[in-house]
Amino acid sequence: MQKKRPEHLDLTKIKMPIQAYASIAHRVSGLFLAVISVAVVYALQLSLHSEKSFNCLKQYLQQPVMKIILLIVLSGLFYHFVAGIKHLIMDLGFAEEKTSSKLAAIISIIVTIVLIIATGLWLW
Amino acid sequence: MKANIYRYDPEKDSKPYMQEFDIEIPDNKDIMVLDLLHLAKEQDSSLSFRRSCREGVCGSDGMSMNGTNGLACITPISAVAKNNKIDIRPLTGMPIIKDLVVDMSLFYKQYEKIKPYLINDQPEPAIERLQSPEDREKLDGLYECILCACCSSSCPSFWWNPDKFIGPAGLLQSYRFLADSRDTATSERLKDLEDPFSVFRCRGIVNCVNVCPKGLNPTKAIGKIKSMLLNKAT
Repeated sequence: MQKKRPEHLDLTKIKMPIQAYASIAHRVSGLFLAVISVAVVYALQLSLHSEKSFNCLKQYLQQPVMKIILLIVLSGLFYHFVAGIKHLIMDLGFAEEKTSSKLAAIISIIVTIVLIIATGLWLW
Repeated sequence: MKANIYRYDPEKDSKPYMQEFDIEIPDNKDIMVLDLLHLAKEQDSSLSFRRSCREGVCGSDGMSMNGTNGLACITPISAVAKNNKIDIRPLTGMPIIKDLVVDMSLFYKQYEKIKPYLINDQPEPAIERLQSPEDREKLDGLYECILCACCSSSCPSFWWNPDKFIGPAGLLQSYRFLADSRDTATSERLKDLEDPFSVFRCRGIVNCVNVCPKGLNPTKAIGKIKSMLLNKAT
């Protein structure tokens, strides 16, 4: 009987353009947001429960560690949002060529970084 | 020049390995990767790879050269070698028969699925079916595909679902017939593509455009198919 044939799929040996990494990051950030949404919904519930628990949560989120966690969560949201809009623009038939899609990927990363920095400044 | 070449012989090897070849390049010329493979074969005649026309027309020698898919016969070593080293592997994500020779059955099966031939239910004219120059122009950038599989084999969606996702090569050809003014099976063709896998696994990461040795753009063709499907549904 014939053995199962091997495949070459060593991801460390395969070069991919930045567009591919931008797309993979979009999916990873989506997964991250789906998981973290449980904690976010819990925080929302706490904030709505009573005035006391709202203030308690507010105070809790003032801690530097919590601010960093908040920034990480928001970073995921920003990237997913910006890359999602890039996808919608591509669905309209733009940025589908080699260079234009590369440019779109770079722009989406830059916009995300600007949003993260702005949020960081606002948080601190 | 050091060439690291992927080796696997199902009769002898339990798993694939990389074999290093030290290759003297005649007159330090910028030869093609295919020439390099022929020089390696002189050292070890058991090395297997496909090749035929050696000028980028037949599409037999698609392979991964330093991580990027392309045709070995039209890729100069200067374009891929780094530090006088080159890594040559079979097309990514395809079952390996021996060394650089891969099993392309699933790739062809996907191609077959899109019915790569003109369908026309009108009575045959006496001489030929006519097409205006404008309509003929719509097929430019579509018909030139040589089915070398460089694109489909560089597509992660095709790696994970080679049995269900048609892949960039098949979809480019699918659009070639959807766009043909002489074809009358447009709605039947679109119906076959409606499911969540055939077309919609494409996430537009443009790996296919990046590697196509003929400079074609499957991503754009897939975008056009998606628009046609949308128009059909609304």
